[in-house]
Amino acid sequence: MSRRKLDEIDVAILRNLQKDARTKYSDIAAQCSVSVDTIIKRFKKLKDQGIITNTTLLLDPRKFGEEVIANFSIDVEPSSVDEVLEFLRKQNGLCFATQAMGRYDIFSIATRRNMNEMNSLKETIQSHNMVREVRTNIWVDQFLLCPQNFELEPLIGGP
Amino acid sequence: MSELDTKIIEYLTENARLSFRKIANQTERSTDTIINHYNKMMKNGEIRGSTVIVDIDKIGYEGTAAFQIDVTASNDVKSEGILQTLIEMPNIIVATKTVGEHDLLALAVIHDVKHYQQISRDIAEIKGVKNMTSCIWPGNEKILPKYFII
Repeated sequence: MSRRKLDEIDVAILRNLQKDARTKYSDIAAQCSVSVDTIIKRFKKLKDQGIITNTTLLLDPRKFGEEVIANFSIDVEPSSVDEVLEFLRKQNGLCFATQAMGRYDIFSIATRRNMNEMNSLKETIQSHNMVREVRTNIWVDQFLLCPQNFELEPLIGGP
Repeated sequence: MSELDTKIIEYLTENARLSFRKIANQTERSTDTIINHYNKMMKNGEIRGSTVIVDIDKIGYEGTAAFQIDVTASNDVKSEGILQTLIEMPNIIVATKTVGEHDLLALAVIHDVKHYQQISRDIAEIKGVKNMTSCIWPGNEKILPKYFII
C-alpha cells in the first residue's frame, strides 16, 4: 500500500472539498495564505496521484422516487461469496455490495421505490440457493452522509 | 424535475466543480438559468451537497466498517441523541436510524484493526448503546456509487 504524506495544503484542499466540492480555489488559497496557482497545482497533483478520484454530487435518492433505503446483511454457503456478489450486482436497486469479515459474509445497500419492491428484492436474494440468511434494516427518517469526517490530520508527516 | 435539472445533475455528478457557465454552453441556456435550477435543487433537497471522492487506500485507510447498533429501551435514551453523537465522531461517513434487526447503522473508514477496535469501543461507550454487531471490508469497494459514496 502506497501511503503518501499529506501536508497542510493538501489537507486544506481535501477538507474544503469534502464539505463542498465547489469551494473556490481562491477561498482555499486565502485560508492557506498561498497563491491560487499553488492550490490549482496541488489539486491536479492529488488527482494525478489518484488520491482524488472524482468530485461528485450528494443526492437524496428519496427525491428521485427511490423512497426506501435498506441494508442487507447476508450469510452464504462457504466459498460462494463471489457467486452471490455477482448475482447481487445484477439486481435492480442494488447500490453497494461487498464481501465482509465479521458477523456476516456480505454487506450491501439498496434503494427501491417502495416497501413492496424492497421486499421482493429481499425475497429474490433469499431465493438464491447459496444464500443462507438475509437480515434487513430499513433506513428511516434521516440518513446522514458525513464525508467531511475523514480524519486527515494524523497523516501529516506520517509514515 | 425538468429535463434540464437531470442534465445539470448528470454533468455535476461526473465533475462537481464544472462551472455553471460550461453547463450553460453545453445545454444552450444562460448561466443564470443554470444557477437558478441548481439553487432550487439544493433548496428542495434533491441535491444534498457535493463532495470529493478520495481513494481511502491511498491516504492510509485500509478499509470500511459497518456498525449495527442496538439501543437500550428506556425513557431517557433517545436514538436521536446517539445518532447525533455518531455523526460528530471522526471517521464516521454515514449514520442513520434503522427499522428491523437493529436501531442504528454507522459506517466508518478505518486505518487498521487497532483503529477498528478503538472506534468499536468509542461507540460502545455512548450512553444508551446496548449492543452492536459489526463487520469490516478492505479497500474501497465502489459499486454504482450514485447515492452512496463509500
